[in-house]
Amino acid sequence: MAENDRLIEVKDLRVSFFTPAGEVKAVDGISYSLGYNEVMGVVGESGSGKSVEAYSIIGLLQSPGRVVGGSITFEGEDLLAYTPEQMRQFRGNKVSMIFQNPMTCLNPVYTIGNQLTEALTCHDKGISKQDARARAIRMLELVGINNAEKRMDQYPHEFSGGMRQRAMIAMALICRPKLLIADEPTTALDVTIQAQILELMKRLQHEEKTSIIFITHNLGVVAEICDRVSVMYAGKIVEQGAVNDIFYSPAHPYTKGLLASMPRLDEDSHERLIPIEGTPIDLLNPPKGCNFAPRCKECRKICLHQKPPFADFGNGHVSACWLHFMDRARANDTAKGASANA
Amino acid sequence: MKVNFAKLSPFQVDPEKIEALNLTAADFEAATNEEKESVVYRHKSVSYWRDAARRFRSNTVSMVALFVFILCLLFAFLGPKLIPYNYSDQYRSSQKLSSMQYSEDEQKVVALSGHCDAFFATVLQPGSLTAIKKGDYFIDYGGKTYAFTLKKAIEKAVLALDADAEAPLFVVKMSDINEDGSFDKSTPVELSEAPAEGASPIRLSTGVFPHVFGTDSSGRDLMARTMFGAQVSIIIGIVAAIIVLIIGSIYGAISGLAGGAVDFVMMRVVELIYSIPEVLIVLLLQVVLTDPLRTWFDAHKSGIGAILGDLGPGIVSIFITFALLYWVTMARIVRGQVLQLKKQEFVTAAVALGASGTRIIRRHLLPNAVGALVITTCLQIPSAIFLESFLSFLGLGVSAPMASLGSLCSDALATIELFPDRLIYPAVILTIIVLSLNLIGDGLRDALDPRLKK
Amino acid sequence: MVSYILKRILAAVATLLVIMAVTFFLMNAIPGNPFLSEKASAHAIELAFKKYGLDQPLIVQFKNYVFNYVRGDLGVSLKMQEGTSVADIIFNQGKFARSIKLGLAALALAVVIGIPLGCIAAYRRGSWLDGFLRVMTTVGVAVPTFVLATLLLAFLAVKLSWLPVKSGELTDFKCYIMPVISLSFYYTCYLAKLTRTSMLDAINQDYIRTARAKGVKTGVLVLKHALRNSLIPVITYLGPVIAGIITGSFVVESTFQIPGLGKYFVQSVMNRDYPIIMATTVILSALVIIMNLVVDIAYKLVDPRISLTAKEG
Repeated sequence: MAENDRLIEVKDLRVSFFTPAGEVKAVDGISYSLGYNEVMGVVGESGSGKSVEAYSIIGLLQSPGRVVGGSITFEGEDLLAYTPEQMRQFRGNKVSMIFQNPMTCLNPVYTIGNQLTEALTCHDKGISKQDARARAIRMLELVGINNAEKRMDQYPHEFSGGMRQRAMIAMALICRPKLLIADEPTTALDVTIQAQILELMKRLQHEEKTSIIFITHNLGVVAEICDRVSVMYAGKIVEQGAVNDIFYSPAHPYTKGLLASMPRLDEDSHERLIPIEGTPIDLLNPPKGCNFAPRCKECRKICLHQKPPFADFGNGHVSACWLHFMDRARANDTAKGASANA
Repeated sequence: MKVNFAKLSPFQVDPEKIEALNLTAADFEAATNEEKESVVYRHKSVSYWRDAARRFRSNTVSMVALFVFILCLLFAFLGPKLIPYNYSDQYRSSQKLSSMQYSEDEQKVVALSGHCDAFFATVLQPGSLTAIKKGDYFIDYGGKTYAFTLKKAIEKAVLALDADAEAPLFVVKMSDINEDGSFDKSTPVELSEAPAEGASPIRLSTGVFPHVFGTDSSGRDLMARTMFGAQVSIIIGIVAAIIVLIIGSIYGAISGLAGGAVDFVMMRVVELIYSIPEVLIVLLLQVVLTDPLRTWFDAHKSGIGAILGDLGPGIVSIFITFALLYWVTMARIVRGQVLQLKKQEFVTAAVALGASGTRIIRRHLLPNAVGALVITTCLQIPSAIFLESFLSFLGLGVSAPMASLGSLCSDALATIELFPDRLIYPAVILTIIVLSLNLIGDGLRDALDPRLKK
Repeated sequence: MVSYILKRILAAVATLLVIMAVTFFLMNAIPGNPFLSEKASAHAIELAFKKYGLDQPLIVQFKNYVFNYVRGDLGVSLKMQEGTSVADIIFNQGKFARSIKLGLAALALAVVIGIPLGCIAAYRRGSWLDGFLRVMTTVGVAVPTFVLATLLLAFLAVKLSWLPVKSGELTDFKCYIMPVISLSFYYTCYLAKLTRTSMLDAINQDYIRTARAKGVKTGVLVLKHALRNSLIPVITYLGPVIAGIITGSFVVESTFQIPGLGKYFVQSVMNRDYPIIMATTVILSALVIIMNLVVDIAYKLVDPRISLTAKEG
């Protein structure tokens, strides 16, 4: 049954921030499913709602942000109906998360060991101190930290950035969660460290069979690690599909723009990078039509008045753009002309 | 491919809905740039200061505090001009009154005022001036001029005017006034045609202004003193804050800009001053400075000496204390700002263009550090007011007849059991001033600190 | 750690020397001298000067102070209790003990009440309790100590007669209540305000989000993760708090008529009793400096990022 293939299913999720200036629809009706052992990339520029969407899965939304509609189902259970205590037990246990800036994400006044074992003890009261410590050390070794025994008793400031992110990953995976949400885990790191961390995540994903939602603005990282990609723009998914489909036959103008703005080593290096012009829309006053329309080179009249529907290109590759319906319009006109002639 | 992605896709494409839209080729004409522009909502871009001002204005608490502080300023600086009493005048007949209370003499005069149009009561005059001397006088009242000559001095009496009476101007002795304001005996004053040459004017009053806060044991009006005290305290606070601002920012800027050994030595000095319990030194300083300052003021009666002399040695030595000890926090803040800004490129550019050190401080560093300076200065004012009141409390600040809110509080202590309100009024005003300044400072911090910008 | 403390003690001794020099300079600059009175003849004053070594050059006098202090000799009083040893006056007459007891009690009260109040306000941000505490602390830091002390005195002692008007030698628990409350109120409010701000700051940090993502309980989140971090700025402020409490004791001791060190210092300045001025200044300064050292060590215990040995570089 198809249901069993789905680890998490998000349907028409809407998240709004209620600011003094008005309601900001940070996530405006997005839907996707994620299978077991699958890595999905969520790509978009800052402010596109990709982190907010992840926070609402793991229940980390902070006031004034609130889920205002839709559903999130995890292994058949409705996460939005969970009590705060149920949600707490769920967090870190079934789903865990790693963040962008490893420099600030570890508590500076506690040892790495303390923070690692805490993740274990708050979900498994029965575990003994020695067991927790042994497990933590094993986890540190697994993420490639040498001298783990000694490192356990060090403080975060004694770790380098890459090491801290490794520790963060160890902390996230220590309870063997089914889903890991990685929110730009490599953005704040040096390029060489980035590659190491990506390599590590790929390896761990393979070994632990954890599903990953990988949030990034870097398409190169997506190509490296993901099976499938969702492209987000201004709170909406604009295109979704297998990583190859997205890279080799992008359908949405925004995705095309993103790809054109990305340096590629495999192609003719004389080709110029083309930035996407304009700035993201103001979510307080979203346009009536397509959110991307004001920046879109291919913008049509209808794009300014009406939200585009999804078009299906097969194998789960969908894209929300009016351009896909141009043929339909031509067909309509021909039909009308025909009927007028008749 | 390990997963069937189609199965995972939640997107249902509904062909019928698309059909219902009845799309036409006209819908797919390329949109012009103007059309694209028209759907974009643009924020007006605002400058840092505009934005800060907007943030400050939208902060209700700070705006209320600002309003209250302006009221305090009006009370302190405009108030003394609106009431007939003066902070230093002693009204012998009105000693030790509670708030709104009239002395016996005043009650009589109030009662008498019901029986005449206007009056001049010698007992309501300050100090020893309880008599009108012999000589020529005139009174302007109700569009008429009344001129007369006094053959002998009038003491403990009221010069009353009743325009409709046969003898409009007459003198009633205080002892002849009954409780209801009637009087048995009065002496008419003979009027002359026109004022004699060199006649002095006498201004009549129509009522007795109440002692709203009461009077002290020397018969000084406490509301006038509180107003004046508030004035003195606010001046002390602002001047001390400016002194701290100037010395602190110069010291901090030099230390931060110079760097190296100079910075090291300058910061050790700051640390040393920081670790001294300053109050001990302040107390000593006050005692040390008072006498030399007084001598100096006596010798220099003009220019700056006169201005400082008016303030008195107590206040001036408070300024000196601030100049010597209290600038260290400001210096640290400025140095921190300078170090932070020094790294920024526009300063490097200025140095590369050959700008001098002072020019860099004046043109580049201070304008950028101005947010931190404004906040610290604003919060320095209450601390100066506090220190002055503390010293006055210990008997080292201003001395009578000068007044500050602190000295008024400490004067009130002697009679706290009989007249608790003598403490309450200055204490409440002191608290309100400090409170409103603190809240304004907090509001400025929220408005000027872009890190808190949401 | 040990070498750090040694370094700090050396620095403290240097600071004390500077304080002695400044005090010596200032007290000699006070017009008049301790023996000046209407009755005293010029000859008697001269004799007294000789007796107490005041006729020697200032530099010699200062050198004598320093050497005597190193030997632990604080000298004898010139005027207030003429001929009595200063050490006796300060330590054996209970002045030092009273001031210390008062100061420590006020400090303890400020810490024990102020910090938890700040935590509660931050934790229940936006509640009526938070609102109430904000108003109270904001007003609290605007009321001068002496005003509060006098109001307490007028109300609790004079009007209601619940507490003694004169706290005197602090023989009874009741004698402590008003002086300690007035001394600590400002700092309680200040610490509560500061803790609230830094707690809110800590709660918004990334590592709190990490801990929440791990599934840590809210109580643990606040008490373990946020509190310790938020205490760091609070501890840096404790140094000035201690100095301030010693300052405040001047006012409190004179309002409640407690014969303590603060009040005695003010009197000794008025009387130009040089050895007492010097001794009280040095003792109070030493107290502040030692407490600051304790605070710095506490700082190290709370924040592992601060390495005490590296800081001196």
